[in-house]
Amino acid sequence: MSKYTLKINNRELAVSNLEKELYPAYGFTKGRLLEYYGAIAPYILPHLKGRAITLKRYPNGANREYFFEKRCPPHLDWVETADVPYGKKKQLTACMVNNLETLIWVENLASLELHVPLARAHAPETADAVVFDLDPGENADVLDCAKTAIILREMFLKLKLYSCVKTSGKKGLHVFVPLNSNRYGFKETKQFSRAVAQIVHKNHPDLVTTKMAKESRIGKVFINWSQNDASKTMVSAYSLRAGEKPFVSCPLTFQELESRALENKPERLQFKHDETVLRVKKLGDLFKEMLDKKQSLPYL
Amino acid sequence: MEPGRVSFRMLHNKDYSPLKRKMFCPAEEKIVPSEEIIKGFEMEPGKHVLITNEELESVSPDRSRTIEIAEFIQTGEIDPIYYDHPYYLVPLKGGEKSYKLLAQIMRRTGRAGIAKFVLDEREYLVTVTSRDGALVVSTLHYSDEILPGKEFAPEKSSVAPEEKTGLKESIKKMMTNFTPGKYSDVRREKLMAILKKKTNKAAVLAPETESIGAEGVEDLVAALEKSMHDS
Repeated sequence: MSKYTLKINNRELAVSNLEKELYPAYGFTKGRLLEYYGAIAPYILPHLKGRAITLKRYPNGANREYFFEKRCPPHLDWVETADVPYGKKKQLTACMVNNLETLIWVENLASLELHVPLARAHAPETADAVVFDLDPGENADVLDCAKTAIILREMFLKLKLYSCVKTSGKKGLHVFVPLNSNRYGFKETKQFSRAVAQIVHKNHPDLVTTKMAKESRIGKVFINWSQNDASKTMVSAYSLRAGEKPFVSCPLTFQELESRALENKPERLQFKHDETVLRVKKLGDLFKEMLDKKQSLPYL
Repeated sequence: MEPGRVSFRMLHNKDYSPLKRKMFCPAEEKIVPSEEIIKGFEMEPGKHVLITNEELESVSPDRSRTIEIAEFIQTGEIDPIYYDHPYYLVPLKGGEKSYKLLAQIMRRTGRAGIAKFVLDEREYLVTVTSRDGALVVSTLHYSDEILPGKEFAPEKSSVAPEEKTGLKESIKKMMTNFTPGKYSDVRREKLMAILKKKTNKAAVLAPETESIGAEGVEDLVAALEKSMHDS
């Protein structure tokens, strides 16, 4: 087993097992995992900063068993943590990935996926964005999600709300409305997202469902509004996803979404690790408005 | 859920809300929250031995992720009374080849594997057999769970020899091969027909549980609706 000591920002960090295959069908080792997260760090870190991270760890690779780790695993003293509510009465200590050394440390634990709540750790009940998690049911695909995302975006434009979109890195899309205000709790964002989902469903009943049941979802896009909850997490922008290939949950513009969807090839709405790194170098962070754009929800 | 079983939700007849079960304490006449509920084994009416979740966990076997077959037997050897419930097995990723191999060999040899397997915290004795290229696990009753037939057989009484031959004859006349497709659950079919007819015209809607009609939200809904139609 290989072992190296890295020195990042004057902190020493041991990494190991770099030749281990983490996406065996594709040939992507732990070394390349660290390389990806190192390259994407300037773009992903602002989206992780100050949030209680949930690690989705795949110790034996993306096609094997995994576990969610909400509690911060045993760590060196420079890893920053936060105590956040867990369930109704309990608390837990979660990691905050605030800098490069912590990012590399969690990746050395084979945390292929990094999930974050829609709230910052210092204010766990304040929703700083609304999310619409678009999940295609059986016989539907990311192209149907793209149609739904564009309907949502047009609706938000008329309400004078800015929104942005990323691929889920699996089969769906995530549309966000940033709020960055201390005015809204999850009760309000849930009310808003639910009303939006219901209106879209009412007007496009063949495309969209608001029901979780599998049979309601056949051939349709499920708008999962219930993700707007203090106890839920979403995969972070720029996180890898476990799967056959190292796809990323990757931001894109609505114009791109529209033109790529018109090509009618679902694979045009998937971005691999290397493509994502090239994109951010060229386009910058298409999710930067998520960090500080302040908006108000109408009528709430 | 059992296949073929039609199940119903209990609804409130006033507003069609789906109802929930709650634990009720008859002594205090109030609903008991889950954190106040513990488990006890009833020794005699009103007298219980308490058992903690830790104690239950300590005797529960670890969940098995694999089924290890201990021995193989001929399928015909098992008295049908032992069969409890069948389940289909699906292979884990990477296990497809050995799954297929086992299913083929078992079909050819007419053998069943005997194994122990943990399901829902209980360890079961199971058979593994092959059916249409798939593997089937059937849970079996343990032998001490099977009541002896003797307890239920009527006391001896004499039967005349001609009565015996008469019955033998009529059984012979009714002999046929078993074709399960001939039979169906008639009650279920009738029930499904009624439900199908009703879904088209008489479906009832539960009230919204989280009030979308809460203060101010009507305006939001109206604005959203308007945004859908303005061009």
